[in-house]
Amino acid sequence: MALAWAVISCLASGYLIVAFGWSREPKLPDEKLLRASLSIGLGIGVFSVIYFLVNEYRLSHVLAIDLVVLVLLVAAFFTLRRPGSTPAAFEILASESIALPPWLHRVLSGSFLFALIVALYSAILRSIAHPDGEGWDAFAIWNLHARYLFRGGEHWRDGFSPLIPWSHPDYPLLLPSAVAHFWSLLGRETTAVPGVIGLAFTFSTIGLLFSSLAILRGRNSAMLGGLALASTPFFVEQGSAQYADVPLSFFFLAVIVLLHLNDAYLAENLRVPGLVGLAGMAAGFAIWTKNEGMLFLCACVITQMTGRSRQSTRRVATLLAAVAPFLFLVVWFKHSVAFPNEIFFNRPAMLPKILDPSRYWVIVKWFGKDFLRFGEWWPVPGTVLLVLFYSLIVDKHRPQRGPTLRASVWTLGLTLAGYFAIYVITTYDLYWHLRFSLNRLFLQLWPCVIFLFFLAIPFESGKKVPNQA
Amino acid sequence: MSEPHSNRQRARTTTGVLLFTVCCLLSSLRMVYKTGNPLHIQVDDAGELSEKRFAGLRTELPNRGVVGYVGESGNAGTEDYYRAQYALAPLVVDRSKDHPLVVVSVSTLPPKPDTTGLEPVKNFGNGVLLFSNKGAK
Repeated sequence: MALAWAVISCLASGYLIVAFGWSREPKLPDEKLLRASLSIGLGIGVFSVIYFLVNEYRLSHVLAIDLVVLVLLVAAFFTLRRPGSTPAAFEILASESIALPPWLHRVLSGSFLFALIVALYSAILRSIAHPDGEGWDAFAIWNLHARYLFRGGEHWRDGFSPLIPWSHPDYPLLLPSAVAHFWSLLGRETTAVPGVIGLAFTFSTIGLLFSSLAILRGRNSAMLGGLALASTPFFVEQGSAQYADVPLSFFFLAVIVLLHLNDAYLAENLRVPGLVGLAGMAAGFAIWTKNEGMLFLCACVITQMTGRSRQSTRRVATLLAAVAPFLFLVVWFKHSVAFPNEIFFNRPAMLPKILDPSRYWVIVKWFGKDFLRFGEWWPVPGTVLLVLFYSLIVDKHRPQRGPTLRASVWTLGLTLAGYFAIYVITTYDLYWHLRFSLNRLFLQLWPCVIFLFFLAIPFESGKKVPNQA
Repeated sequence: MSEPHSNRQRARTTTGVLLFTVCCLLSSLRMVYKTGNPLHIQVDDAGELSEKRFAGLRTELPNRGVVGYVGESGNAGTEDYYRAQYALAPLVVDRSKDHPLVVVSVSTLPPKPDTTGLEPVKNFGNGVLLFSNKGAK
């Protein structure tokens, strides 16, 4: 009963937030899948914030607080939401950028389904085989912080002591707090909770990628994109490892997808203003998940601000307004609970590193190496496969790429540049740090890369053709 | 667009999609192979064993505060420390002898942890011992 309530209230919170920001009733299956995928991630995010605040203000009866929040969301949904006035927008947007003969469409459909089943099979078996997650970070960082939140009572901050080495007390608390929230509703700790949350984020990311591509580029592109992500072994492994990189990749993708959807609507002279607010919220959850979220947010805001139109100014203002509460939460957490990140601890030592050219060369080599072997693909690396695919199917004489796509590519580029800079100044041994983290940083951006890749493939004849679905 | 060009482009698209699909499927098949036989899953029970190992000790320690920890060195010792920290939360386990109570974790392999200056309090079995450090600040 408690488990059912926990799952229902989490998903319902997410659904109401998505529906509130997106007033139009979903008509197409792809639109429903998109909303469902967003609901899962945003619901877990909301759950996390609720529990953190309950813990911080020492409120009892988490169940009652959840009910109050749900009632408030329902009330807001029915009273403040504007009725959907847009015409059949997704019928306008849905089209095929890659037209395929029927037999190949069937082969692709079967292959995507196979890859999805394999990913599910692998992720579930790995979760069963490793109930405490794979690797140390699960029980040394994320679930450890969850335990302190759950067991610590008013002394939960003890868990963020600098006496516990390598536990990263400055890491934000989306995952630990969500896990602890479910534990508190169940009344006990169970390894199933972090495992299921990991699986939820993994397959929501695939769902989000598929549905957004289906809406913006047609089912064929969606299946190709979904196939690429579901066939990435490292993505599936990390999804079940109980680390925070796949959840972060979900929120990064959500931000990019929502901004593109918003601009696709605007291109058809339709306004759905809540989408940018939702993107801001997703960015807020990203910064509440891992420190890299802050870097991504800065990159996103910078690239959005480079547009000089009134629309861009309004978009940035809406984005920042939606992110503001999360920024406040994270800044407050880092100021009052967390200790400074080890990387920035020894500032005088940074300058010699910045001026050392050999460090840059080492990092460039590792970036190149990991670009080629990222994802643990076999036999052809996924990154190389995308390049080959693009060279085969895209004709030279094509329309220009849109400003939104350029801005998103710049966002990822700036984020990567930020990762590069962190390696330059890191206090850890450089080789050690690159070896044990670079592939996970790439993983955070991988779903976005696949999304933008298929978005960059222009419509074959420059015109939209009807969706085969 | 001229017809021969359209045909060439369609052939390239078909080839590209087929190649992409086959490569993705090969990667998926490798994932199946690496995941192994579901009837013979080997569950990593290190976490559960660690919880049981430290269960008795937890009942003897205060609910909160800091305890010291001494264990073996190296990677195995580091994992053991984090497992102990996870099992004993919400206590903070400091990898130091400089606390009134010190948890000592002993494995079967040499060398034994350094317990110089510590006095034994209780042996919980399974290589888990509690020591006291009367000289701790």
